[in-house]
Amino acid sequence: MEDIATGFHNAIILLLTLDAQLYEIVGLSLAVSLSSVIISACLGVPLGALIGTHSFPFKNALLRIIYTFMSLPPVIAGLVVFLLIMRRGPLGSWGLTYTPTAMVIAQVCLVTPIITGLTYNIVRDKAPTVKALAITLGAGKMESLKLLIFELRIGILAAIVTGLGRAISEVGAVMIVGGNIKGKTRVMTTYIAQLKSMGDYSTAIAVGIVLLIMAFLINTFLYNVQQKIEN
Amino acid sequence: MKLYMENLTKEYEGRKVLDIGKLQIEKGDLCGIIGPNGAGKSTLLNLIAGLIKPTSGRLMYGDEMELTAPQKKITMVFQTPYLMHTTVEKNIAYPLKLRNWSSDRIEARVEELTRELGLTNFRRQKSWKLSGGETQKVALARALSFQPELLLLDEPTANVDPSTTAEIEKMLKRINDTSGTTVILVTHNLVQAKRVCAQAIFLNQGKVVEYGESEKMLKSPEHDLTRRFVAGELLI
Ligand SMILES: Nc1ncnc2c1ncn2[C@@H]1O[C@H](COP(=O)(O)OP(=O)(O)O)[C@@H](O)[C@H]1O
Ligand SMILES: [Mg+2]
Repeated sequence: MEDIATGFHNAIILLLTLDAQLYEIVGLSLAVSLSSVIISACLGVPLGALIGTHSFPFKNALLRIIYTFMSLPPVIAGLVVFLLIMRRGPLGSWGLTYTPTAMVIAQVCLVTPIITGLTYNIVRDKAPTVKALAITLGAGKMESLKLLIFELRIGILAAIVTGLGRAISEVGAVMIVGGNIKGKTRVMTTYIAQLKSMGDYSTAIAVGIVLLIMAFLINTFLYNVQQKIEN
Repeated sequence: MKLYMENLTKEYEGRKVLDIGKLQIEKGDLCGIIGPNGAGKSTLLNLIAGLIKPTSGRLMYGDEMELTAPQKKITMVFQTPYLMHTTVEKNIAYPLKLRNWSSDRIEARVEELTRELGLTNFRRQKSWKLSGGETQKVALARALSFQPELLLLDEPTANVDPSTTAEIEKMLKRINDTSGTTVILVTHNLVQAKRVCAQAIFLNQGKVVEYGESEKMLKSPEHDLTRRFVAGELLI
């Protein structure tokens, strides 16, 4: 209990004193997670929409794979990416080990299936209705697709934010490929894990609180966008 | 728009649900399609709308006997219409935007339609805040916006209160009268068919049993099946 109280106290001090190290860590967390989510959205939204509006052989098998990857343990994603980019790995010459780029790659592997799967679900449910409407109102193929994305905008946004939540909160993948190197690849989650193992509980809680505040701000932003669309 | 059907069939998993030998609907007709549940009424409407493809046979549109549905000239109102997730006026304006109307023309048309259907106060209302009857009227206004040559309606008043039903019926008669729009109305309400439609088609188990003046058909049916349907002996 005391640790939690001290944690709050320290969090406020850290934030108010504009602790440079903390802001660097928060900054990198955001940069890595946002980049991953933007890339994943660019891949996952069109992919999910495509799968949701077309039928093709092995579609069910593909969907099962996507659903499985939606709950891929981060350490596995981290491990696979690490094995690919490590010095002796197939992409070793790129020199990506323990870089933010590697962290983004690992998170893209985690987040893309989530955005693809969630987009697929909402597209599958609504596409037939919207498509029929578009045809009866005289829309062409492109105009139908535009209408579909417009109609699903809230759901797609929610899928993207779910992906962002996953990215910013996971620790396994970024730890394995990034290595939690101070000033280079240290992000909030890996820092918390390290502080805990060093027994510095109050700073760990302080950083945890900052992480929660970030999550709260992101969700507030989403909520406002949603409200704006609805009203 | 004139419609011409020849040996038109539709099968689902080998089961023939529609089998129309020969059927012609004239330009400017206001034609009702009646028949029990599962008769194939919606299937026929969806075929005409170009939403599904026939298994065999031909369906031709207009004097030019076009073989593909001229999507820009025909439209359909569904039993439970889907309104886009935006305002009433944007829903009504959407088909006009697709047709590149100028914003002045769009505004004038939206104003006209909302006035005629008593929707003036709902123009800026979000579509999901409307009642069932209002939703149906917006769907009708949206369908009529671009002055289609053929209007298809699938039980448009099934979930609507009597006064809204009357408004919708009045509108259908009027646009058929003044614009010469061909209207095909699927309904399970025989009184409505008689009240609104000059012609009626009685469809049973995918086949046209009787086709003629609605009043005559419902008063003195030629076919025994029609008589039983009108008498309420066939399940609706
Ligand atoms: N997509 C479909 N797949 C399989 N059967 C269908 C499909 N659509 C309609 N049917 C069948 O075709 C028959 C006619 O249906 P429908 O045209 O909806 O009838 P109605 O509108 O007259 O009630 C019904 O037996 C229905 O089960
Ligand atoms: Mg039906």
